[in-house]
Amino acid sequence: MRSALIIVVIVFASMIGGCGYNTLQATDEQIKASWAEVLNQYKRRADLIPNLINTVKGFAAQEKEVLLGVTNARARVGGIQAIPELINDPEAFAKFQNAQGQLSGALSRLLAVAENYPELKSNANFRDLQAQLEGTENRIAVARNRYIKAVQEYNTEVRSFPGNLTAMLFGYQTKPSFTVENEQEISTAPKVDFGAPVPAEN
Amino acid sequence: MSANTARLQRFWLGIGFVCVLLLAIACAQAEIAIPPFKKHVTDLTATLSAQELAQLEQKLTAFEKAKGSQIALLIVPTTRPEAIEQYSMRVVESWKPGRKSVDDGILLLIAKDDRALRIEVGYGLEGAVPDAKAKRIVAEIMTPQFKQGHFAAGIHAGADALIGLIKGEPLPLPSAKHSSGSRFDADSFVSLLVLSLVLGRMLQVFLGRLIGSGVVGIGLGLIGWMFFSSVAMAAVVAVAAFVLNLFLNANPGIYRGGHHRWPDQGYRGGGLGGGGGFGGFGGGGASGRW
Repeated sequence: MRSALIIVVIVFASMIGGCGYNTLQATDEQIKASWAEVLNQYKRRADLIPNLINTVKGFAAQEKEVLLGVTNARARVGGIQAIPELINDPEAFAKFQNAQGQLSGALSRLLAVAENYPELKSNANFRDLQAQLEGTENRIAVARNRYIKAVQEYNTEVRSFPGNLTAMLFGYQTKPSFTVENEQEISTAPKVDFGAPVPAEN
Repeated sequence: MSANTARLQRFWLGIGFVCVLLLAIACAQAEIAIPPFKKHVTDLTATLSAQELAQLEQKLTAFEKAKGSQIALLIVPTTRPEAIEQYSMRVVESWKPGRKSVDDGILLLIAKDDRALRIEVGYGLEGAVPDAKAKRIVAEIMTPQFKQGHFAAGIHAGADALIGLIKGEPLPLPSAKHSSGSRFDADSFVSLLVLSLVLGRMLQVFLGRLIGSGVVGIGLGLIGWMFFSSVAMAAVVAVAAFVLNLFLNANPGIYRGGHHRWPDQGYRGGGLGGGGGFGGFGGGGASGRW
């Protein structure tokens, strides 16, 4: 009698394992962890900005528009609460992503402008900040990539059999992933100006 | 007639499918393959002479023995179509230089024909080698040498600079275990034994105590053999599983609490978490061109 009970328990336990419940849990946790890393790296970038702006100001204070653009974009990013629950709300997720994309655009404009100031470019502090910013952008790319992979794994589990039944039963839904961050900026050709009278169209 | 067209349609569909498949394979192969991680120094461009290779290998091996951190060097002709950052990330995700949970690995990647290089820094060394310092090593120490074609000198100087930075970092001492050939993995040993208890319980119900334990012992021995790829280890696992099952598992009271859990599930959950096998990387470091 007891041995029969044990067998039933074991079979049941293996069924729970087999219906994808544990995979759902594991992939869900993986998403949370990789999302936390994405937020972490975005935060790191935002933290770099005041220092960067101050350094650039010292050499190129007349570039008010660009500097203001970065400051405003950073403020917008800060205005969106970067809570972990963001991944369960596709609309808020898109908004957050959009704000971060605008900040990326503003930052790259700032760095492009900085190219015009030789003194700024050779400033050790600026070079360090630039290296840090590059490193952070790369970390963001890696973190986003890992998040995309984690979401893919989870979504596949949620949508394929038998995980979909389990997901339905426990109310798990597919999660949003990253798309191209700054669609508008990519679709408009960047303005190239070599200081020579060359038409820089497309 | 219509059956014929349907068959023809299916034929073309099949051809199309195969074409798409081949295209997909071709695209997948378009990325540069990652060479195996056998030594500290891997040169696919024959830039370094045998003597220079040996010197670098010796330097990096000695450093790993002394400090425990692993600096790997890879020279490839090109990383195209990928950017050097993407390729380098794929390499470290495959090689995982550095120690488990210390994450103290560094990859020095040089794409010679692209005239690009990158220092990829593991999580554990992001404090010792921050991006700004990595950038300085790239821009001020290595690329000036590379510009003049002095590859070995540039690499030596870069490696020395990295070693100098890492030396000052308090890291766990290198363990003797790590350098020896076959590693004893306590985690997998314990999980194998737990697995044996669970399997043993089931088999003993069907086969009786002695035969059940015997079968589990043999089975675990085989699994252990695959796991540790050593016959001695397999024998130890087999005997341990047999004895454990015969005397310990025979008592049905063990599972009375009902906190039964598949050991391999817990194991899988742990394995998924981030960093992975040995050294973990998150994209820290710096790139440069010459």
